[in-house]
Amino acid sequence: MNNSFRSEAAVTPDSGRETSPLVVLDNLVKDYPGVRALRGASMDLRRGEVHALVGENGAGKSTLIRILSGDVLPDGGSIAIDGRPVVFAGPMDARRHGIVTIFQELMIVPELTVAENIFLGNEPASFGAFYSRREAERRAAEILRTLGAGLNIRPSQQAGSLSTAQKQLVEIARALALRAPVIVMDEPTAALSEKEATALRQLIVRLRSEGTSILYVSHRLDEVMEIANRVTVLRGGERIATLDIGAIAGTGELIGLMVGRPLAELFPPRNAKVGEVAFSVSNLTRRGVFEDISFNVRAGEVVGFAGLVGAGRTEVMRAIFGADAPDSGVIRKKGQPVDIRRPRDAIASGIAYLPEDRKDHGLVLSMSGAENVVMASLGKSCTAGIVSWKAVRRNAQDIAGPLQFRGQLDALAGTASGGNQQKLVIGKWVLTGADVLIFDEPTRGIDVGAKAEVYRLIHRLASEGAAVILVSSELSELMNVCHRIYVMSGGRILDEVSQEEFDEQRILAGAFAAHLAGKPASLMAGAA
Amino acid sequence: MMGLSESADKISTESGGRFVPVAFLQRYGREIGLPVIVVILTIVFSANSEVFLSLPNFRNIGVSAAALAAVSFGQTFAVLTAGLDLSVGSIVALVSIVGAIVMRDHGIAAGMAASLATGALVGLVNGIVITRFKVFPFIATLAMMSIVSGLALSLSGGVAVTGVPGAFADLAYELILGVPVPVVMALAVLLVAYVILGYSRLGRRIYAVGGNEEAARLSGIEVRGIKVAAYILSGLCAAVGSVILTARVASGQPSLGATLPLESVAAVVLGGISLFGGRGSVVGVAFGVLFVSILSNGLNLLNVPSYTQMMIIGGALILAVALDQVFIGSRMGRKS
Repeated sequence: MNNSFRSEAAVTPDSGRETSPLVVLDNLVKDYPGVRALRGASMDLRRGEVHALVGENGAGKSTLIRILSGDVLPDGGSIAIDGRPVVFAGPMDARRHGIVTIFQELMIVPELTVAENIFLGNEPASFGAFYSRREAERRAAEILRTLGAGLNIRPSQQAGSLSTAQKQLVEIARALALRAPVIVMDEPTAALSEKEATALRQLIVRLRSEGTSILYVSHRLDEVMEIANRVTVLRGGERIATLDIGAIAGTGELIGLMVGRPLAELFPPRNAKVGEVAFSVSNLTRRGVFEDISFNVRAGEVVGFAGLVGAGRTEVMRAIFGADAPDSGVIRKKGQPVDIRRPRDAIASGIAYLPEDRKDHGLVLSMSGAENVVMASLGKSCTAGIVSWKAVRRNAQDIAGPLQFRGQLDALAGTASGGNQQKLVIGKWVLTGADVLIFDEPTRGIDVGAKAEVYRLIHRLASEGAAVILVSSELSELMNVCHRIYVMSGGRILDEVSQEEFDEQRILAGAFAAHLAGKPASLMAGAA
Repeated sequence: MMGLSESADKISTESGGRFVPVAFLQRYGREIGLPVIVVILTIVFSANSEVFLSLPNFRNIGVSAAALAAVSFGQTFAVLTAGLDLSVGSIVALVSIVGAIVMRDHGIAAGMAASLATGALVGLVNGIVITRFKVFPFIATLAMMSIVSGLALSLSGGVAVTGVPGAFADLAYELILGVPVPVVMALAVLLVAYVILGYSRLGRRIYAVGGNEEAARLSGIEVRGIKVAAYILSGLCAAVGSVILTARVASGQPSLGATLPLESVAAVVLGGISLFGGRGSVVGVAFGVLFVSILSNGLNLLNVPSYTQMMIIGGALILAVALDQVFIGSRMGRKS
């Protein structure tokens, strides 16, 4: 049924560059049990270009990358490098063909040194067989210097002590050590601060000018517009278009291509019916982590928490939920103090926490989507203590329908796309009937379309009278979704900003207050 | 067999649509694999031994498999929480001694009750050591194996406890509708374990805790309580296994069940329970037990020396785990 779509795929003709494509992916097909992840996707990568790959979650980007990295074999279609067809026997084989992939989940061994990580599987040897530490560290230092990171990362340092951005640089160094002509990057800036992301983008541009081809996967379309030469849009496992960046009017056009329909308002209107204070926290303290946290949320209100990574926002929310014990402080619901010692107590009081890390803290990936949804309120699917599978299915479907969950509820949660996984977690808490909902970075790593749906859900919950707390590192998200924003820095609430007073500068100033003075505000992580 | 091992299978896949053989194999291959192998084994042994395919021999297999089955069903609970219970063999020995003493002095009913209580108690201690003192299950139950075994030997003075009522010893050889009582008991344990795991809150929470402990905790599940319950269930099942063995030898034996830790872990792993927790079905474990029992019975009938049998069973265990990795890989859509 989608053949008509493919023939319509807009492919801008070669813009005068005579370089023949270095890598050609032709008509790739990949089936997973119950899902066809790729239905004949094609694209090509030229020498010395940055080629962006964009699409909603579930569009097939990850599958395409995994095929290109040799991690999975396609069920159909072919790959050619320099005009010669290749079949990758495994990730090492792809590397031998010059394709190095930097995955979103960084492949760093924390116990090894930086140099050992850079040369993992490619160790320089002396006397034939012995690993030469000195040689490895010398060459590692050289490569790190070309990355402009020589001063901050020592080759002999344990990789576990590095920041995420530094680990990313180590991964890139690894690709350089292999002198890979093709580097595939999967969401490389997702975990980086704005400053680090800028540095990475500069590096990418430099690598391109030195002849490296880069396949760049990102949800951040502004980045794509900035550094890519061409962009390929995937949707539903097919290529929708490959375009020169110059031929694109703006990110709006890309979004339209990605979702296949003009994107309705990304940020839906706020709930207008805000009631009494439904939830409040006074003087909550956990020594050394956060201090004297007091705030309140009204029924129907969405209250944001802005701040830098490490400001203590997640820690406060975990303490409220009973996941970690605070030293002192009072939590009140509708004016009544509630005693929360464990997550169970919080759930019993109608408080829900959607953790930042979906896969590690939010879902049991080896269970079905339906079971994850009913997990926190299994009693609702039981009769006389016996689990009714019919009820599990019915309850999960009742919840998943309005959430526009588009995966399969009876498939393992681990097979769902990022956006769908987030909907499972949201569904789980909606089903508990919670009326205080804490969302911790709910849109991290999910695509634009799914983001808009998450916002719509947040507003729907609020309009039904829930008190919603939204922790986010994306300032534009906070400013467009929340009624009120608290700004945290260094474990304290430093500012409270109401909707009329929303001001990027003011919020950033608060977020940075506990950090070095004099640092420009634009460094805030993910600030729009 | 029914698709029982994963929660996902339980909710019928009627929405699925067309039948794809490869996808079907990827999805259910592991569940079908072992039963198919058990059937093949049966056919092979039947062809090579005229004694194998006979009712008395099948009763024989059943009786000798029953104790291992009960213990393995208990082991399943522990392994599903991503744990392990190496103390099952010692529990069998201690329960045998305690049960025989109480039975001798106070009758069969009291003896049975004491047996189950002893098993549950050791399980409780296991659970507490693991969850409160945060000792890894491997070390905790290894240590408990030594402690409980020592307890059994001191209680009995190192010798068998005799004077078990004859009516109790006869149980091992009585038939209900032609089925030996030990087999009936093992089937009862299977049924109870199946219902608990598939249809009780406790069971589903055991899967959740084993699958992702942090997510389970943040969903309000009392992780420690669930783990303690799993070890109590393991102890209880070991107690049932002990009752079966004690009846067969008609006395309390302090050295009973020494090979059960290895055999039960083998049956559980062969049966497709992931050692990382949260994955697999107790029905699979039943086939694991059948596989081990039929294999050793058949090899006996073919006069294969028992030392060689040990090597064959060890090899089968490695093979099963290796195959399992392949299936998990293809199901999760990943190669390694």
